[in-house]
Amino acid sequence: MSLLPEPREFREEYEDDEKLAAELPNRPITSLRDLQYVYGRLYTLATAGGGEYAAYLTPEQSTDLFDEPESLLSLRVDLSGEEPTLDSDQPVAVERYGKEKVEAVAHAWFNAAAGFDHSVTHRTGKNKEPEKVSEYLHERLTAWAADEVIRDAALDHEDGWIVEALAALGEQEGLRDRIEAGVGEQLDGKTTALTTVAVKLEPDGEYRLPGEASPVFNEAMRARKRSKLVSKGEATNSVGEATDLVTGQRGPTVGTAEDPLNYFLGKQLEKFPGFDPDEAWRTHPVSEDVAVTLMNASTFVDACDYYTMGANVYYLPYFFGRLGPDDARDLYQLLYDLVHEDDMTPVESAYRSYRNAPRLREIGERFRFYVAAVMEHQTKRFDVFGDSMDGTLFSPVELARAHERVLRSWLYDAEGGADLPDPRLRAAFPTPDNWDVFVPDENALLGTLATGWYFEQTFDAADDDDASADDYRIRALVAVLSGEPLDAETVLAEYVDRLLNDESEGFPGFRVAAQYAQLCALATEGLLTGRDAYTAVAEPPQLTDEQSTTMQQDTPARADGGNVAAARETKLEQFLERTPALSEDQPERRGSFLLGALVGQVTGYQQVSEGRSTTLIDQYPIKAVTESKLKRLASDVLDKNVVYSRENNMAGTMYREVVDRLVTTLPRIDIDGDWTLDTTDLRFYYSLGVAYGMNNWASSDDDEQADDRSAAEEEDA
Amino acid sequence: MSRASLDDGTDDAGAALPETCLSFELRGEWGHFRRVEGNIVKQTYRIIPRTTVAGLVAAMLGLERDSYYEAFGPSASAVAVEPIEELRAMNVPQNTLSTAKEHMTTMPSRGHARISMPDPTELRQQHNYELLVDPAYRIDLRLADDHLRERLRARLEDGTSYYSPSLGLSEHLAEVTYLGEFDVTPKARETTRVDSAVVEAVDSVELEPDTEVNVERSPAFMTADEGGRTTRAFQSLAYATGAEPLRVHDIETREVDGRRVMFS
Repeated sequence: MSLLPEPREFREEYEDDEKLAAELPNRPITSLRDLQYVYGRLYTLATAGGGEYAAYLTPEQSTDLFDEPESLLSLRVDLSGEEPTLDSDQPVAVERYGKEKVEAVAHAWFNAAAGFDHSVTHRTGKNKEPEKVSEYLHERLTAWAADEVIRDAALDHEDGWIVEALAALGEQEGLRDRIEAGVGEQLDGKTTALTTVAVKLEPDGEYRLPGEASPVFNEAMRARKRSKLVSKGEATNSVGEATDLVTGQRGPTVGTAEDPLNYFLGKQLEKFPGFDPDEAWRTHPVSEDVAVTLMNASTFVDACDYYTMGANVYYLPYFFGRLGPDDARDLYQLLYDLVHEDDMTPVESAYRSYRNAPRLREIGERFRFYVAAVMEHQTKRFDVFGDSMDGTLFSPVELARAHERVLRSWLYDAEGGADLPDPRLRAAFPTPDNWDVFVPDENALLGTLATGWYFEQTFDAADDDDASADDYRIRALVAVLSGEPLDAETVLAEYVDRLLNDESEGFPGFRVAAQYAQLCALATEGLLTGRDAYTAVAEPPQLTDEQSTTMQQDTPARADGGNVAAARETKLEQFLERTPALSEDQPERRGSFLLGALVGQVTGYQQVSEGRSTTLIDQYPIKAVTESKLKRLASDVLDKNVVYSRENNMAGTMYREVVDRLVTTLPRIDIDGDWTLDTTDLRFYYSLGVAYGMNNWASSDDDEQADDRSAAEEEDA
Repeated sequence: MSRASLDDGTDDAGAALPETCLSFELRGEWGHFRRVEGNIVKQTYRIIPRTTVAGLVAAMLGLERDSYYEAFGPSASAVAVEPIEELRAMNVPQNTLSTAKEHMTTMPSRGHARISMPDPTELRQQHNYELLVDPAYRIDLRLADDHLRERLRARLEDGTSYYSPSLGLSEHLAEVTYLGEFDVTPKARETTRVDSAVVEAVDSVELEPDTEVNVERSPAFMTADEGGRTTRAFQSLAYATGAEPLRVHDIETREVDGRRVMFS
């Protein structure tokens, strides 16, 4: 449950353009702080209906307690007599907290592991025992009311005596026991609750919660919150005259404001000679108002955060340039949806909003994101693995679409209907059922991508559970979300590492197929860059016939004639022609692929026709393939192929289309001399070849056998 | 040569800017300009901040700490920064020592000339630094202070420097190449392609499908006070990741060496 008004209500409240514009920054969003400021501003505008303390209160922190039993506990303090006393009949009241009590309870949460909330109202930890609850209630008097900052603030207020009286009561002997007894009478067992005080100021008056009893509670709360803007950790009074980094106004700035992302903490000495935590306002100057506004961004910031692969990914939407009134209303709608959306990542949620709202589509290229992957080592020690102000919605969406196109193309034919080189043969690579990276559905793929699962399935797993800067999966996720290209060489290395890890359970043909689909999609979207030898790897394959007409002229499709061997020839020719990485001027990579393809074909033959359990790919797994072993491997495979051809009484060799190309490609490679292909590159394309070869069977193997035999008989005759 | 100081007396902040600029190229294998939003995290600006340019020039001239902010103030100087290579960053985890008070040793224990050092026997913490890879910028710099300008010109011509110039952190040394002195020709307000980073005109940048426009906000001017220094103003910059020029509507630019730039 949330306190945020519905976008419709927000629009109605702020329908006056001028009025709304006056509340917004008068310059474009160009930094993370600018963005957080806008979020905080929108949050305050949406929730601040409650008066001057609204910006300081944090009702959103406890909406989970709304209408829960035993969720609001108050210590009933009678201040109407000479001495402050606990109510003798009922020292502790237990009730349900609810939306209607927000202002009365006036809770200002403070993000600190040890310590108390800014307001007299304090939230307990989860499921606390009655004894612990009693302690919290007691601390309303001994910690809150007795706090120096709070007492000083109260001194300046006409109702300051209330705070003094509470502090005095807290010092009474035996009080703790009486509270414990009071709690015991009222509470059933463990609970999570807001703990506060209710005071009676007149002899025949009611017990009133802090927000109703006197403004002194909120004044003191505000003073306490302010004090935290200038003192925290080792800083005691970090305040000084500087230029606010959001508004650009010169004035008093505070150094230890809470940062909704914890990127800046005053205590860090780091690389500043003589840096003093008390001088934190110099390096990170924000005015008090901006500081409080930044803090109010946390509800929205947290809604844009999701956890994957050991890191928190932040995906904060905004619009490029100055935020106009219409933009502000749209942005509020987006953020509201994110707060209320549990199932979808911010990427998916934003995309859904975008598709459903014509106004957002008009905004088009201005639709931006701040993207970051943050690793929290401890609560206060963060690492950021890549962040960018300039993420676009379109980068992940377009990648998902490109992936879908690859899956539907003749390379994969995920749902049938692709323009296959020959209908009797299968697509180049398999598309196993029940594996989401092979489902050609934009929404599903976008989800797979946004959650990081897209790379988890294809890249090597990290060494431990924690995220690290070396974890390329996170790097890749952030890059794709922000539209930055990945390095082709690194991507292949990740692929091969993963394949080697998978290999113990047989050749990971489906994994290769998944990786190659991803590689093609990344290349198609310009999300791969390759230097030197990897330039061709980063080039997209040709997915459709329209891209080239020469192809059809050179090798006309023989859908209605020719045997299966000829169909395989056509298919391989097309594959090689349309794959830049395997062009004729890349003989080493092409040779590796062809060798793999032959191994894959012969393996398939051994499995199906020979029923052998140990096949060629078992003899030559990926890890066995290196440049120095290539020559022996090639001659072994070719020999074996010849043996099988003879056994089958074939006139020529089996899989002639591969063999012919292999024997013309290999002599062009100087294996002993200046071989240049990296082993990773070699292994990936060898694996790709195996996957291709293993999938390269006709709709019926019997047909193929018969076909081969009849071809042989024809030649014999 | 002794380290020079710029006190108020020699500061020529009131003088008009010259009609020419000194242009030089900054290059390095690595760079790191820590963003002010974070000290726990170590993200870098992509465009060398204006204050860093000032600091780098001051280092070349051997100016004293906190002495040169006036000379690089808004009326006494103008800087245009053009990225000349694709702006690329990578993560480089570094092992750092704790600087918490309990892990610091101050030597000697008394007296005014003391230094604090982290305890090298403590365990290291790994932090991820975002570093720029092969950063390269062309800087066009106008300085009102004649004396300072001549000293800089001499340094640039000789290829010498008082302190080693670096790109952000001291370990990322900068290579400085003098390109010469060029006329600065004001151009009327118009829509044009701008070669340098676009200063305070993010709203006027045209978004084109093939050019990725990025923005950042970094410190522009510093000022000194009794306790140290603060940033006097921040500025918003727009640039293309690929270091291509951006098309900007209705803005004032200057022409330098056949290029269009925006000074700040």
